[in-house]
Amino acid sequence: MLRLAAGRLGHLVLVLWVVTTLTFVLFRLMPGDPTLNFLSPSFSQETRAALLKGFGLDRSLWEQYLIYMGNLLRGELGQSFLQGKSVAALLGEALPNTVILTLVSLTAAYAFGIVAGAFLAFRRGGVVEALAIPTTLATRAAPEFWLGMLLLAGLAFQAGWFPTGGALSPGKEMGSFSESLISADYWWHLALPALTLMLFLQGLPLLLMRATMLEVLNDEFIVMARMKGLSRWSIVMRHAARNALLPVVTAFALGLGASIGGNVVVETVFAWPGIGRLLVQAVQSADYPLAQGAFLLIAAVLVVMNTVADLAYAALDPRVSVGAKR
Amino acid sequence: MKRWLVAAGLSAIPFLSANAQPAGDAVRPLVILTQPQAASPQDYQAAEMTAEAWKALGLKVTVRPLPGQQFNQIVWYERQRWDTTTWQMVGRPERSDPDELTYNLFVSANIANGYNLVGLNSPDYDKLAQAQREELDLPKRQALIRQAQELINQQQPYGFMVHPKNLVAFNQTVWDESSMQVQAGIGIRNFWTWTNLKPKGTQKDVIVNSVAPPTNLSPFNIPGAQGSWATELVWDRLMRIGPDGLPRPWAAESVTRPTATTVDVVLRSGMKWHDGLPVTIEDAVFSLEAPGFGDKAPMYRPFVGNIAKVDITGPMSLRITLKRPDAAFLVSSLSKLNLAPKHIWAPIFEDLKNKPETAESIMEKVPVGSGPFKFVSVKLTEQIVLEANKDHWAKPNVDRWIMRIAPNVEATLGALKSGEINFLTDYTGDPDLLTQLAKSTPTIKVADSLDIGFRFIAYNERRPPFNDVAFRRALSAVMDREALAADAYGGAAVPANSWISPALAFWADPGIDKRVPGGSLAAAKKILTDAGYVFVGNELHYPVGVKETTPVYN
Repeated sequence: MLRLAAGRLGHLVLVLWVVTTLTFVLFRLMPGDPTLNFLSPSFSQETRAALLKGFGLDRSLWEQYLIYMGNLLRGELGQSFLQGKSVAALLGEALPNTVILTLVSLTAAYAFGIVAGAFLAFRRGGVVEALAIPTTLATRAAPEFWLGMLLLAGLAFQAGWFPTGGALSPGKEMGSFSESLISADYWWHLALPALTLMLFLQGLPLLLMRATMLEVLNDEFIVMARMKGLSRWSIVMRHAARNALLPVVTAFALGLGASIGGNVVVETVFAWPGIGRLLVQAVQSADYPLAQGAFLLIAAVLVVMNTVADLAYAALDPRVSVGAKR
Repeated sequence: MKRWLVAAGLSAIPFLSANAQPAGDAVRPLVILTQPQAASPQDYQAAEMTAEAWKALGLKVTVRPLPGQQFNQIVWYERQRWDTTTWQMVGRPERSDPDELTYNLFVSANIANGYNLVGLNSPDYDKLAQAQREELDLPKRQALIRQAQELINQQQPYGFMVHPKNLVAFNQTVWDESSMQVQAGIGIRNFWTWTNLKPKGTQKDVIVNSVAPPTNLSPFNIPGAQGSWATELVWDRLMRIGPDGLPRPWAAESVTRPTATTVDVVLRSGMKWHDGLPVTIEDAVFSLEAPGFGDKAPMYRPFVGNIAKVDITGPMSLRITLKRPDAAFLVSSLSKLNLAPKHIWAPIFEDLKNKPETAESIMEKVPVGSGPFKFVSVKLTEQIVLEANKDHWAKPNVDRWIMRIAPNVEATLGALKSGEINFLTDYTGDPDLLTQLAKSTPTIKVADSLDIGFRFIAYNERRPPFNDVAFRRALSAVMDREALAADAYGGAAVPANSWISPALAFWADPGIDKRVPGGSLAAAKKILTDAGYVFVGNELHYPVGVKETTPVYN
């Protein structure tokens, strides 16, 4: 197990180095540079040269790379070109919002998906299933922005039950994120983006749970449970569902990792101040340090969650060796 | 071999049309660059409409949308590469004086790296642009500006399209409309409105919106149009552009020009920085000199480029000596430069001497100005919160000025309806949607006003046939500006044929939009045939003997 963990950690470091290098090179290969944000009639070649020097972009690509990697090893992500703040501080402000949005929507999606999937497997062939499966597939296939706009139109514009965007009401200030967390205003603003993401995410656990349950329900121990005269609820939830959960739990861990960077659309539609929105803004304005930092963070979370899922799998099920030599 | 020789011989003969009229090569397929429909639906549609109009002249035209950064990169830095492009100049208060655009857009000195994107090289225009810059007599300068407009009308370096209207809306149950100020070419979304706005009831926070996040807020950075709304409230300036479009003293008690190259300023007494310290004459001198310190404030450096020296002449007075006469100095420099506290920024500039960073990238934790509003908090992707400076000599009537930053344009309409914002200041969506919302919601009132800015299609003169004035005139002649204003810009625009908007009535040339040479398809075709171009069937060819040597944009 230790050997497996060490191997996985080495793998993790290698992947992060590759991601770091790729994002560094890719942003510099993109057409344009950050000075294009400042074009104006008074903009001159001297202005551009001074700005590029200020950003450190007047140096060779190799020099820039070595400086960047050196800083990274010291834990410094650099300074945002356009926001006048350190990248770490900007990511630190945005990350908790993304984590909360992800955790709330993913937990709700998986809780709903697991129960509904188990129920649909048990009631296979009925009218409920005939309606529920296409609906699930539709919400899973629908673009997130479309779902978000529908909810905005219905629940915010028309009904006026929810705000149209942001994390707090206009002018509201919170001293810290923990203050936000205990504020009703924050959760009121979170409701619509979380509901959108939850609707989008619930399809996978529901369908996965249903498929696994259908297999499990044919196992002999379920037949035995029925013969013993156990209640339907007890058979589905206590016996079948628990055995069908393993792939769903794995999907949850992976989904958590993927969602950190996958909330770009929802965060943009609802002006939710998370990592996704920061990333879009950084890419659009060629703010290299911020974009690199955001990508690195997203990649790190994804890779770490994958590693955690692998290790957890190996720990939970001794038959799984995940590449370790026997 | 024989076949090769015949083919080579035929190709050497000028093209013979059906009626045996000799002609040069067919004009290559042309490309109009523009931004994607999602980013700028109006410009995209205008480009499509223009392409259709040009096809009537026998041209093959395609519209090529490019993402923002790539679009700017190609148009700005790859000037040999593109044929035509949509572009816009936005309205800013300091553009109330025509100098900035008159000089920078078309003078030959700006062909290589500056804003003369099209490469117009006209010695006559250069003389006019310089002369208006040095002419301090207003009627004489007006005549020069109008001559310059007529020269550009004859040259047609741009296919001018429209001057847009600013669309803003506000909640009329919250704000007293009579307290709003209309600024020429800007509308009611301006500094004077924010400092004069009167609430009708208990809501005393003015909540505006921005769809684009501003950049770093500092007295030495130009943080985009939306960010400037906040910075001009926090940092005072010696002068400001008044609602009439003319500069007036603000933090200065008086500004006089004893000679063509000297400006005397008397600083208003009793002003204080937001940290409580007094605003001194040394602060004013520092603010005028700091952008010129090395290359540490490159964005503001051009605005002090003409200052030879600044001398303190009294406890609250100073004299600025210019290197050469500058008619627009009060607008382009004194109404633009922020007053920055020396006690905060002098050490920062000192520290920057040994670092690569510039002052643009520095943002104080709590930025300190002396303006009618002071910073409370800034999160550039969420909101900017300012509070009224009750100690200011022009203290506002509102409690706070809050800018909500949300990229979803449709959601901002919902926010206006629900009261989450009470002043819609940044709307880039369909004008019809906003009008409909105001009709169905009695609390909302829309206010539109003609903007100083303009939108146009630039013709790249580096690439034939755009170097031919007849060709450019013909392209401009077939553009239907009325239709562009009505359809592409949803009626929220008026036709243009100059860079000076009719909103600047003193400088604009009345009726110039009706004086585009030609003015119809038949006239445009005549311009081309008179210049030797030949229509071969439905295809436009160069005059006889002219080869197409320019590669198609790729």
